[in-house]
Amino acid sequence: MSAREKTGRKVDGDDARSEILARLEAAAPEPGEPFQRVPAPAMPDDPTSLLGARLGQNGGVLVTNASATDWPTHLDLPASPAAFAHVHCQAGTALPEHGVASRGVGLEAKAVHDLSPLDLCVLEAEFSVVENGASWHVPASALERGAALLAEHLVILTRRSRLVATLHQAYPRMTLGHTGFGWFLSGPSKTADIEQALVLGAHGPRTMHLVLLDD
Amino acid sequence: MGHVDRARDFVANTERTTWHDEVLWFVRAKRDAAADTLPEWEALRDEAAGIKRDVLGRLPELWRRFEQEATAAGATVHWARDAAEHNRIVHELLRTHDVKRVVKSKSMLTEECGLNPHLEAQGIEVVDTDLGERIVQLREEAPSHIIMPAIHLKRGEIGDLFHQEMGTPAGLDDPDELTAVARRDLRARFLAAEAGITGVNFAVAETGSFVVVTNEGNADLGTALPRLHIACVGLEKIVPTANDLAPFLRLLARSATGQPISTYTSHFRAPRADDGNGGPPPELHVVIVDNGRSRLLAEPAFREALACIRCGACLNTCPVYRRSGGHSYGSTVPGPIGSVLAPSQDPARHAELPHACSLCGSCSDVCPVRVPLHHQLLTWRSHLAESGHHPRRRRLAFRIAARVLSNAGLYDRATRAGRWIARRLPSRWLDRLGGPWTRSRALPSIPAESFHQALAAREEERP
Ligand code: SF4
Repeated sequence: MSAREKTGRKVDGDDARSEILARLEAAAPEPGEPFQRVPAPAMPDDPTSLLGARLGQNGGVLVTNASATDWPTHLDLPASPAAFAHVHCQAGTALPEHGVASRGVGLEAKAVHDLSPLDLCVLEAEFSVVENGASWHVPASALERGAALLAEHLVILTRRSRLVATLHQAYPRMTLGHTGFGWFLSGPSKTADIEQALVLGAHGPRTMHLVLLDD
Repeated sequence: MGHVDRARDFVANTERTTWHDEVLWFVRAKRDAAADTLPEWEALRDEAAGIKRDVLGRLPELWRRFEQEATAAGATVHWARDAAEHNRIVHELLRTHDVKRVVKSKSMLTEECGLNPHLEAQGIEVVDTDLGERIVQLREEAPSHIIMPAIHLKRGEIGDLFHQEMGTPAGLDDPDELTAVARRDLRARFLAAEAGITGVNFAVAETGSFVVVTNEGNADLGTALPRLHIACVGLEKIVPTANDLAPFLRLLARSATGQPISTYTSHFRAPRADDGNGGPPPELHVVIVDNGRSRLLAEPAFREALACIRCGACLNTCPVYRRSGGHSYGSTVPGPIGSVLAPSQDPARHAELPHACSLCGSCSDVCPVRVPLHHQLLTWRSHLAESGHHPRRRRLAFRIAARVLSNAGLYDRATRAGRWIARRLPSRWLDRLGGPWTRSRALPSIPAESFHQALAAREEERP
């Protein structure tokens, strides 16, 4: 029976904390043997094709032949971005001449909830990882974090100079100790929970494009 | 009721068993293909195992650091000695925030603690949001696999369930369409939820961060929308530094399903940003849970099981798991790792699980953190035998076997007599004597001579 039940007072958890730490001290094994760190693998010879293949495994599409001014024309979407009523673009990613600019419900959103349903969300990666197709992103706001999930279609812009070979190179590039929330986004939301049949768009985006731009 | 009895219904349906066996073996093959893409794979396993061994020696220091950093970032840290305390803490948080609707993403820890029934009994609606978990929740079942919770079900059964629960047309069993219906239903529940509960894959001491991975993005939606996020983490889930995440995340998804990485790998540290609409400020609470983990840590023979990152590879590869299904284990975590963990929680109840194993060692071969699973299963057998947890018949049988096997003359006479009798008994009777071993297969015919006799005859024939 816990202290709370015995005394009826609200326990601040200090009892549990010190008891658990004491149990761990008592049970701790001798320090483990020294072990080898895996050296970070080098960038592959053809990072673009490996990135495309890995992203493809995740259900995403890599766009390689686009420029900073025409990438929206390279997306394989059910409709042109200009046809979407609700769009959220991370600052600096809009391309109004192609109909890519924040508009619709997102602009008046008072809460993340108001964003649902969103047609398109465009983000910019801090960097992308060749070995697995993941892009590191730190949302600028609660709305942006929600937009990336509530959108039917997700586009992430990244740059050739911001490719890293593996996760070993990725973590030293982040400042996790100063990041309230950040994520690797690696494809569309997906599930295989019904007979292992792959379905894209489980809860979030049904499509995901990673647009690789030259610097 | 033992593993064999609980497996009976599952194995009775040969079509299902065969499908289950093959589909999991296919996942295992995808794991192999993914591992083969990395020349450093074995070195990664060594590194991951090394980090975990190091961590087990300094858990108090690491958790203190985590608490300090997470608190500084604005999170609130709670400590729970056992399942009951964990459930009380979570309920108290929900109660004080006046929460009636909760969305939860996959967490074997909350499953282990029985959180859902606890909260439901207090009138709180808990919706499991991983599609597979939602399916088993609606069926009022437990997950049968740690990352594929509904792998024991066929599409027709899920179609029937959705027909009953969500009004889909009878007979609809297309995975795309069923998922679309679940998506619509769950989207509304995400939007209505007042709190999100998640598990934790890795906590990072140095930064006070924690990582949650999903493919569906359900943990993300469940924490991006509500203002209250409660994360429940087992004591074993910590790593010292952010850089330590790299080997684990490189191993995890590849071992689990052969994917290069999960779709969403989210790093939480502070309460989510405010939407700025004047509501109460968002909160992040982390509940650190022992519930038997410190006891396991004190067991030199088994403590390495705390390195487990719940990838499921040992389930996918296990010939017993693949053919008997997750529910046959009767434990929160099934498969080889479940059979190691469960007896430490309740030896009397789970004494049979270490025997649901052919000691083939495939689990240890695939485990990304090198848990010596089949060695631990063998060790459990002797521990449980010594502590009197074996059935009386088996104890007697082993006592007799020990006598016979340690005396060559007695062994010779006993096997001679055994062969003489066995060759004269109808095979039906013989199969009865084999117990569960011969319940669904027949013994081979008994040879007239012993191995020794056969060998001696061969030697003589040699030119
Ligand atoms: S014991 Fe190893 S293989 Fe099994 S689930 Fe845990 S990490 Fe994966």
